[in-house]
Amino acid sequence: MPPSPCAICKTNRALILRPKNHQKLCKPCFLSVFESEIHHTITTNNLFHRGERIAIGASGGKDSTVLASVLKTLNERYDYGVELILLSIDEGIKGYRDDSLETVKRNAQQYNMPLTILGYSELYGWTMDQVVEQVGKKGNCTYCGVFRRQALDRGAARLGVKHVVTGHNADDVAETVLMNLLRGDLPRLSRTTSIITSTPSAALANPSSSSPSSPPSHTNIKRSKPLKYAYEKEIVLYAHHKNLDYFSTECIYSPEAFRGSARALIKNLERVRPSAILDVVRSGEDMARLVPGSDEGCGGGCESQGGNGGQIPVAEEEDGGCGSSGGRTVGGDMAAVERQLALNENAQENGLEVEIRTVGVKSQGCERSDSLRSDVVSLVNGKSGQRVKGQAFTPRKTPQRQVMGQCKRCGYLSSQEICKACVLLEGLNKNRPKNQIEVDGHGQEEANEAVDAIEVGLQQVKIEGI
Amino acid sequence: MPGKSLEQQSVMVEQSCRRCRTNPAVLVVRTEPVCGECFSKYVHTKVIKRMESFRVRFTSPDQLRKILLPISFGISSVSLLHILDRQLQTQKSKTGRTGYSLHVIHVDTSSVEPSAPDAGLLSQLKDRYPHHIYASVPLHELFMSSADGSPSEAYKDLTEDSSLEDMPADQKLLFLIGSLPSATARADVISTLRTRLLVQCAKDLGCEGILWGDSTTRLAEKTLAETAKGRGFALPWQIGDGDSPFGLTFNYPVRDLLKKELTAYASITEPPLFPLIYEPPKTSQPAPSSKSTTIDDLMKQYFESVEENFPSIVSNVVRTTTKLEAPSTFLSEARCKLCNMPVADGRFGIHGWGGDQEDGLDISGKPSRELCYGCTRSVPPTVTLSQGVK
Ligand SMILES: [Zn+2]
Ligand SMILES: [Zn+2]
Repeated sequence: MPPSPCAICKTNRALILRPKNHQKLCKPCFLSVFESEIHHTITTNNLFHRGERIAIGASGGKDSTVLASVLKTLNERYDYGVELILLSIDEGIKGYRDDSLETVKRNAQQYNMPLTILGYSELYGWTMDQVVEQVGKKGNCTYCGVFRRQALDRGAARLGVKHVVTGHNADDVAETVLMNLLRGDLPRLSRTTSIITSTPSAALANPSSSSPSSPPSHTNIKRSKPLKYAYEKEIVLYAHHKNLDYFSTECIYSPEAFRGSARALIKNLERVRPSAILDVVRSGEDMARLVPGSDEGCGGGCESQGGNGGQIPVAEEEDGGCGSSGGRTVGGDMAAVERQLALNENAQENGLEVEIRTVGVKSQGCERSDSLRSDVVSLVNGKSGQRVKGQAFTPRKTPQRQVMGQCKRCGYLSSQEICKACVLLEGLNKNRPKNQIEVDGHGQEEANEAVDAIEVGLQQVKIEGI
Repeated sequence: MPGKSLEQQSVMVEQSCRRCRTNPAVLVVRTEPVCGECFSKYVHTKVIKRMESFRVRFTSPDQLRKILLPISFGISSVSLLHILDRQLQTQKSKTGRTGYSLHVIHVDTSSVEPSAPDAGLLSQLKDRYPHHIYASVPLHELFMSSADGSPSEAYKDLTEDSSLEDMPADQKLLFLIGSLPSATARADVISTLRTRLLVQCAKDLGCEGILWGDSTTRLAEKTLAETAKGRGFALPWQIGDGDSPFGLTFNYPVRDLLKKELTAYASITEPPLFPLIYEPPKTSQPAPSSKSTTIDDLMKQYFESVEENFPSIVSNVVRTTTKLEAPSTFLSEARCKLCNMPVADGRFGIHGWGGDQEDGLDISGKPSRELCYGCTRSVPPTVTLSQGVK
C-alpha cells in the first residue's frame, strides 16, 4: 500500500489508524486531536473552574496515567487555573500495589504533582489482608468492592479536595450502559451515563459541611470523568506515543458475569462498527432522559443546563472500570438474578407472592440495594443459594423510586440508613468469628457452565479484527 | 431443525404435567414440566392476553377494525398468525362476528437481501389460513411515484436531487442500499425502510395499527442492537405497546414468549408450522468477517445463548426497557427524514453533543441533513441517494 498522508495535516505520513473512526493520522495530529477532544469534553461540560483543587484518582494504570498527563498538558495550554494532585489508594494487599504505587510515585515526579497515598488502614482501620484474615478468602470481594467505591471520596475529604476525576473511558461507560440494560437497572443506567456525579450535599446549593455537628465532610465530593468519550484503544495509543510511564496489569478480579458479558459485547461491537462504543454512550445519555422520573437525567449531554446543572448523585455503585466491580465469582450474579426473576415470574403467573428472605444481606451490606428496590430482585453476590421460600408476604406493589439519603454514620450517600461500608465495618469491628458468607457450590458450577455457554456463543460470532 | 428444541428440552424422567397433573409432560417451560396441551394453552394465553383491546365486545357490529400483521415467515410472526387465526375463529363461532380483521403483509426485500425468504410462501400461508387478506409488497414500493407522477414522500425525504427522479423505483432502492458503507448499515436501513413501508401500507389500507410479531427474545435483541446503533432515543416506540409516532398503534402480542418457546410451539401444532416458516441459511462460516457481520447478528447470537440459561434475564431486559417513557412533547418534535422518528430538539446528525468527534476540527462543508443520530451513522453524509453508486 502506498503511504497515505495524514487526514488532518495532509503533510506528514499517516502512521496511526484512529480506532474511533479509522481516520489515518500522523503522530502529532493524533496526539493533538486526542487532547483537543478531551479539552472539548472539559469545556462544554464545565467540568472545572478556576482555582479548583482536583484530585486525580491514580492507580498507575493506563487510564489514570493518561488522564494525569493530559490534564497537566491542557491545564498549562489552556490555562484552566486548576491545581492538580494525585490521590492513590492502597488496599493493603501485600505485594499487590507495590509496582503500581511505584509507578504513581514516578508519575508524581514526572508531572510535578503532589501525591497522597492513603491506605485502607487509615480510611477504614482495616487493610484488605486483615479483612481476609477475618472473613476468609471467599467473602472478601464484597468488602474490597464496597471499600474501594468509597475510598477516593473519603481520601479526597481528608485532603480537603472537593473534586475527584477518574479515568473511566468510553469503553467503561458503554459497558456499563449495556450491563445495566442486561441487569434491568434503569436508575443506575441513568446515573452512570452522567459525566459529573456528586454526593448529595454537593448537588445542593449550599453545603454546610463545616458545621461541627454534621458527619465528616466527604459528603460533598464531585466526581467527573474527563475521559468519558475517549476510546480505550486511543488511550493506549496515546500512552504509547507519548512514552508515558504506566503500570500495565490485568485486573486480578474476574468481572461479574453481567459486566463480563457486556464487555465481550462491546469488543465485538467495536470490531463490527468502530463508532459503536460512542454510539452506545450516546444511546445511554438519551435513554437516561427517558427513565421515568429522571428529569435531571441529562446524562451529561445536556448542554443547556451547563454549570452545575446535570449533576447526579452517585450512589455506592460500580460505575465502570476494572476493579470497581469488586470481583465477584463468575456467573454468580447472573444466575442469582435469573433465579430470583424466575421466582417472581412464577409467583405472578400463579397469583402468589414469594417471600424474599434477604438473609445475610442486611448483615453483610447489600451489594444490590438498588435492585432490591426495583422489581429486579437480586440477592447479595450471587450467593443466594436456596434462600427463597414460596411463602406469602406483602410485596412492593410498584418499583419505588430510589430515595438517596446519607449514611447516618459517615455521611456517605446511601440508599440505606447505614451505608454498605459502615455496615461491613460494624461487622468486622464486632470481631465476630468467620462471617457466614457461603457459596452454593452446586449453583455456582451451573452458573459457570452457563456463562461458558454464553462465551462460546460469543466466540461463534467472534470476528477477525482489523 | 423442526422440533429439535422440543427434544432438547424433553423431560428425561417420566413426569406428569405440572399444570393438568394428568398428561405426561413433554417439555419444560420456565422450570415447569408441562404436557403439549397445557403448553399450547400457555402460549395462547400469553398472546391473547395482549389482544385484550381487540375483543368482540369492544367492537360495535357495524365497525370494521382492521389491523396489519407483517409477516416475515419467521417463527414468531407465523405463530402469531396461527394463534390469531384461532382467536378469530373462536370469536366467530361464539358471537357470529369477529373483533377485528387481519391484513397480512409481507415486505419482499429479495432485491437487496440475498437471504430473504421466497415470497411464494405467502400462498401457502393463504391456503392454511384463508380468512384473511394477503399481499406481498416489494420494498422499493416506498420509492414508487404516485399516480400523477410525483415522487414518493420517502424519496423526496431522502434526496433533493431530482436528476434520478425518472429512474425506476427498484433502481433507486438498489442505488441507496448499494452505496451504504457496511453490512450493519445496509441491514439497518433495510429494516428502517421496511417499517416505514408497513406504516404506509397500514395507512393506505385503513388499518388502525400494526401487530408486530417480535418475541421476548427478539425485543431484547432489538433493545441492545438499537442501543448499539445510537438509536436509544427511539426505544420507547420500538419496544412499547400503544401509540406510535406514526398515527397508528403498535402492539407486540408475542412479547411474553421466548423464541425457544415459539420454536417448541411451532412443532406441536397440528399440523406443525414448520413448512410455513422460513429459516435463513445458516451462515456457519468459521469466522465471519467484520464486513459481513451486523450488529443485529451479534445481538441475535448473544441472546440465543442468554435465553438458553437465563430466560428470565431476557424477559427482564424487555420489561425494563418498556418502562422508558417517550417524551410528552414527541408529537411536536422534528422528524428524522429516514426513520421518521421524532428527534428531540431537532438534534439531527452526530454532531453537537459531548461525544462529538469533529468538534475543534474544521468541519466546513458539513451538509445539513435532517437525519437522526442512528440514521446518520448508517447513511453518512458522503452517501446520497442520487450518487449512490456501488
Ligand atoms: Zn398438562
Ligand atoms: Zn432516523
